Formats: sequence, C-alpha cells, structure tokens
Amino acid sequence: MVLPAVLDDLLVVDLSQGIAGPLCARLLGDYGADVIKVEPPGGECGRRMPPFFHDDPDPEKSLFFLLANLNKRGVTLDLAQPEGAAIFRRLAQSADVIVESFAPGYLASLGLDHATLEQDNPGLVMTSITPFGQTGPYSQYKGNEIVAYATSGIMAISGTADREPLQHGGFPAQYEAGMNGMLATNVALLTRDLNGLGQHVDVSMQDVVTSSLVINQPYYSFTGGVQGRRRLEGSSFGHVTPCKDGYFVSQEGGGVTWDGIADFYGREELKEPRFADPAQRLHNGHALDAIILDATKDRTMAEMFKTASEQYRMLFGIVQTPEDLATCAQLEAREFYQEVEHPVIGRIRVPFQMWNMSATAASCRRPAPLLGQHNSEVFTKLGCSEAEIGTLRNRGII
Amino acid sequence: MVTEKQNPGPEPTLPLAGLRIIDISNVFSLPYAGGLMADLGAEVIKVEGPGRLDISRGGAFSGVFPENEPGDDPWNRTSTFNLLNRGKKSLAIDLRRHEGREVLRDLIRVSDVLMENFTPRVMRGWELDYPHAKKLNPNVIMVSCSGYGPHGPYAQYPAQATTQEATHGLAHVTGYRGDVPSKAGQSFVDFLATWALVMGTTLGLRYRHRFGKGLWVDVAMYQLGCYMVADRILDWEANQRRGDRIGNRHPWLAPQGCYRCAGEDQWCVVSVHDDEEWAALCQVIGRPELARDARFASNGARMENHDAIDPIIAAWMAGFSKTEAMERLQAAGVRAGAVFDARDMHLDPHAKARGLLEKVQFPPERGIGKRVIIGRPWRLSKTPLHARGPAPTLGQHNREVLQDILGYDDARYAELEQSGVIGTRPTHPRPVLHMSMDERVHRGRLAYWDPDYKERLGIQD
Repeated sequence: MVLPAVLDDLLVVDLSQGIAGPLCARLLGDYGADVIKVEPPGGECGRRMPPFFHDDPDPEKSLFFLLANLNKRGVTLDLAQPEGAAIFRRLAQSADVIVESFAPGYLASLGLDHATLEQDNPGLVMTSITPFGQTGPYSQYKGNEIVAYATSGIMAISGTADREPLQHGGFPAQYEAGMNGMLATNVALLTRDLNGLGQHVDVSMQDVVTSSLVINQPYYSFTGGVQGRRRLEGSSFGHVTPCKDGYFVSQEGGGVTWDGIADFYGREELKEPRFADPAQRLHNGHALDAIILDATKDRTMAEMFKTASEQYRMLFGIVQTPEDLATCAQLEAREFYQEVEHPVIGRIRVPFQMWNMSATAASCRRPAPLLGQHNSEVFTKLGCSEAEIGTLRNRGII
Repeated sequence: MVTEKQNPGPEPTLPLAGLRIIDISNVFSLPYAGGLMADLGAEVIKVEGPGRLDISRGGAFSGVFPENEPGDDPWNRTSTFNLLNRGKKSLAIDLRRHEGREVLRDLIRVSDVLMENFTPRVMRGWELDYPHAKKLNPNVIMVSCSGYGPHGPYAQYPAQATTQEATHGLAHVTGYRGDVPSKAGQSFVDFLATWALVMGTTLGLRYRHRFGKGLWVDVAMYQLGCYMVADRILDWEANQRRGDRIGNRHPWLAPQGCYRCAGEDQWCVVSVHDDEEWAALCQVIGRPELARDARFASNGARMENHDAIDPIIAAWMAGFSKTEAMERLQAAGVRAGAVFDARDMHLDPHAKARGLLEKVQFPPERGIGKRVIIGRPWRLSKTPLHARGPAPTLGQHNREVLQDILGYDDARYAELEQSGVIGTRPTHPRPVLHMSMDERVHRGRLAYWDPDYKERLGIQD
C-alpha cells in the first residue's frame, strides 16, 4: 500500500524571492505540500536570474527560477495595495506555512507579520529567510552570496595567504539557507503537531554559513587560535593538482598506507625516508610535488579516480565539470535527475532529488508556474467572483 | 549528573522530547546532526567502539585541546568533538564483536531513530541495514549517511568531504579568476549532509506520527554536493556552458569584489546589483561623477569595464577599517560585508546580539571549564533552544544505557566490561602531537592567537 506523502496535509504560501526562500518552499512541495507562490504583478526577481534556457532572458525561461519553483502553483498579488493585502490575509487564514524573504519589518508595515496573522490562525508557521536574520544591528543590511561568505568567517580561511580571501563558486550559501529554512520549518511543524501552535522561524544566511565552521570556531574558544588562509609553502599534496586532462585531489587517510599511495603513483622514490612521515613530506614538499606532477602528467582523471578508489582504497577526488555531472552514472543510480515538462521551455532534465527515502520520497508533480498562471483558480477558491478578479487585474493588483 | 542539573526550571516542550536516537557516527556530518537533535530534545546515544573512536577525538580533524593542553584523557578534550556531540550520552561498545552487536540489536528494539555513517557494506555485513533493522523494530526510522550511497558504480569508493569537494563539482567553479580550481572553507559537503540528515529525520518522524510506520533516509554526500551546482548543471544541459572560475566577481552583476582595507589582512566585499546602487556607491566613495560615466552607466558596461572599477573601489577601501567600510556602504543601501575571522565571529556586535554562539559549562572534573560553541542557525519564536549539556566522555553512560534502559543485570554488565566489549578508555590511544600556539602561528597553521581570549569571551574560570 502506498501511503500519502508526508506533507500532503499542508498548504504552504511562498512569498519569497530569489533562491533560498523559494528553494525552502519547493522542498516542502517535493514532500507533498500544496505550495502557492505569490509574486508581485511584475514577477519576482528570480525570474530575471541567469542561466536562461537557450540564453533567452524571458521571465519564463530562467532555469534558476525553474529549479527553485517546481511543485508550486503561482499567483500574482500586490501586497502593498490594501486590496492585495486583504486577499492575502484570507489566503493566510488557511495556510499552514508562509515562507518569506522580505527585509525584516516589511510585512509588519503591511500588517501581514506573523504576530498579526496568527490571531486568525494560531497554527500558522512563518519561516523568514534573510541575509542577517530578524534581529541584531545588521538585520536591515542587504546581503547576497559573497556578503554571506565574508561575514560568516568562511572567506577568511578560503583562498591563499598571499592573495585576497576567496568566495565559493556558484550559490551554495543560498542553497544551504533554503535547506535550513525547510529543516527549521519541519521542526516547527513537529512542535505544532504536539501543541497546535505555530510560530515564527528566523533563519539568517550569515548564521547558516558560520554554522559550517566547526573546526575554525572552537579553535578560538578553546585556545584563542585564529585560522587564516593557506600559505603557499611545503607541499601541495591534498590540494588540487593538474593531470593529463584536468585536475585531481589526493589525500592520506582512509584505508591506505603511504606505501600504497606510492604504489598508486608508481614511484618507488616516494618510499624513501625523506617522505616517510607527514612532517618529512611537508619539509620535502617541493620534491614531493615534482614527483607527483611527473607521475600524473600522462594519466587521466577518470583512470586515476577508478584505480585509486577501487584498487588502492585511497581518498581521491577529480575536478568534475557540470558536463561530467550531467552524464554521471552514480547520479543516475541515485535518481538525482527529474524530467520536467514546462509549457514554455519544453522538456528538460533538472537536478531534483537531494537525498533518497524508502517511503514518501520527493516527487515532482508540477513544473514552475508561469507568472499568474493560477490566479483564477486560487482567487476563485478564496471567494472572489470572476468580475472581482477582472477588477483586480485591471487595477494592477493581480 | 552535572549535565542534567545545568538548566533547571520548566522548559517548553521540545519537539523531539521523549525520542531516543542511536547515533553511530564519525567525523562531522552525522555527529553534528545528532548534536542538533539533542538540542531539539531527543535522548541521543552516541555509540563508539573502545577500539574505534570517532576520529574527531584526535588527529587532524579534531581541532585543539582546551588551553592547548591534552591532559590525561585527550580523547575527551578535543574542541571539534565537544562542539558536535553536545548534549549526548556515550556508549562505548565494540560492534566488531558479536556480543557488542547483540547489545545494539537490543537498543534498536527500544529506540525511535537509528543513525549511522559507515561505508554501506558495514551495516549490511552485520545484518543491521534497514531491512534487518526494520525486523527488530518496524517503526524505526533509519538514517544512513555515506559518501556515494549504497548502490551505483561509486558505492564502495572511500570518500571524505575534502576530496569530494572536487568530485561533486564545487572546486570547478571555485578559484581565483582565470586560475586553477580550488577548495574553499572546511569540509563543506559534510555540513550539507548535516542539514539533509536533520531534514530527512524530521520528515521521517512526521511520517511515523501521521501513518505509524518507519522509513529509511539514505543521504549520499556526493549527491548533495552536486545539488549545490544545480544551476551550473542546468546551464550545461540548456546552453552547453561549462562555467568559468571568476574569483570574487558575480557571474552577471558588477562590480563585485573583495578589497583590502586599512590594517593587517583586513578585507571588505562589496556587490552592486543595479544602477541605483552604483550611484549610491559612487556617492559613498566620493566620486559622484562616476555615476554619469558612460563606461559604467549600465550593468553591462560595468561588467565590461570591471577592471577599471576595481582600483577605484580599492583606493577608497584602503582608507577605512573593514567594519567602517561595511557600515558606510550598507548605510547607503549597497551590499557590503567585512571579512570576519574567528575572533570577529565571536566579538562582532551583530553576532553577539544574535547569539548563534552559546556557552556550555563542563563539569569541574573535566577540567574544560566554560566554552563557546556554535548553536543552531535558526530561531523559533516559541521554542527556545540551547545546547542541553556538554559532550560526554567516552563510555560515560555505559551503565545507564545497559542497565537503566536495557535492564541488563549486574552480572551481564560485569561480563561485558571484563571481556572488553564495553569500556571507558580507548584500547589504542592516538599519539598526541604537541605544538605550542606560537609554533602553530610560525608554521602557518594559524594566522595569530589571542592569549587573552577567555577574557574577551567572558569565559574565565
């Protein structure tokens, strides 16, 4: 017997924009929630974010928007106009969860904050995902990916000591904040299942990124030590190294001895006493690097990854490109990708499943909504007549 | 026990109160998830072997000892272990022996969640994978975390976050502009796994609450890491673009960068998203005429002429401290962020006001005192959360788990103890490499250290 999806009893209203908030709401949708995305009449900023399908900057062709808004219905509504706010209040009465990413205080200025909305809906969970959280002296600061890295502490230890601190590539802080939004929403829902009460969940992207510094942070509170960026001295063993067709990373540890590593590289001289222990290898780092560079210059990433992992049980990584990931057999085996049929983009394969479950697994039931696609359906259900909906449309509220 | 007495007074019901979690975990990802679930109210029993300690109890990933002093029981004193495993109980039992696994089977029968992060073949080999665990306890939620997942061509490959960062695609997009791929941060994918493990467990608990059945949550770090470059994969699928390394620039907005401020190794980032913010930046740096300069008049033009903008911003930044630069730019509505290091993380006014970092008091006999650790990056308005006690010493709760929870009699307990199936000391303690704080700085392991850090943090004994 197939049981219903774990969150299929929930109505989620997604007011958020960009990546983190929309991803949080989408994840709730993946596990069964009915998610209604509410956008301003001009569309949310995520619709203007590259990459676009075939590089066409059409608001229905942002692939980032597609990724973060699967499994949602979409309406437009101008919350800043009183009629818009009134309709939203009706929607909020039946909502279990609202996800939002406005500057702290904005919803309160419209009378749409959690404290007001919960008066008519005590079970309401509101999840706010913002750059610096709802409280504290920086709460009104604007943020984005690089600001999150800088202020979290992670950038101070990324890159090399001779150069400027370096951000991560892409948008992982946004993804991480979206994940934490969903995590904390789940916690609020479990609490509500116990006592019937909703609450306001405050997720700060700065806090999210800082929370990954579990070596760096207590270094200070245990000894006063402050880590910096890597100095370019000693050996680059353990760091990215070039080979015939790309780059690899190899590390000690796992199930292999140093002699085993020497055998993998096929160089007997690595077994000499000058490389016998970590201190020696650091001291003779330049010689070590030269031997390994020479040993790998004619070897490919794919061959080394397979040989090192299967025959030598080494901790070994290769620098894969998006193309490699798009054709990766391991990701296929994990059912990572999902085919999505989108009315404007057509059929496209989207990275979908973050992890796997033996029951109530994530399911993709809808593509991302077109702008205002479900206005009639949603507003009719809220009790608006066709004529009223027409008026709202003419006045630019929807 | 001291741990239980630390937070007297009534507590609001915690979401995981009354739940028992078995946490057979190693290193970062799963231990951290277990620690967070202890914060959420669960009874979390960390299971290690006297001959197979969590590797965060010593060696490269374990951080440092309090005051850099290993003490008599270094395995109980490492900083990273004590952060990740807060609020847990410790059972030290040899799972490689049949008698040890019998204890684990008994424990599974009376627990709600079983979490483990062995290579997939281990639990299968012990007949303790989900199909078997479910027979012992049909309602158990099993949570597994592995490098690549239990099936597929890479299933048995050894994995660690630091090498996976390359394989899951993050290193390809990280690096200085036009330079080689780079790693960034510390074991990044481990923490993605932490979030996913708690997400999956909480979904599982709600599923069981609604439908009365358990399930298996199967987290593969590689898959999660690949998700973090999903937008790049889509760009490849739709546009056959591989993406470049662009350092600290933004892929489609300009200008953005990290600039040197006044002082030693002080930096501030700035990021302009539109023309209005560009005009505001030009005002702040005292160059209002640049807002009308045709070279910088639109985002496209600024992308094109980024190299000409960088020295202009750099010249202004050099005259301010990093926080002053951040404050001035943010006050004008321009995104900016000081590059905070570990000291700033503890002492910055916003960090202090937020309270992400919290103090944990250790019992006097541990000789650790009071320490500050990372709490949780989310706050719930009606469910105040905090770390519910320090991390346990190895095997601290052996008797409590075996006798109070499982009801073993004294004779059985003594037998397990005498045969070395359970213990409170490692059978093979790791050698401790002592290095003074000054030497750590000299060797480049640290940028600097603050001998007065306890006063700064307010954790003097």
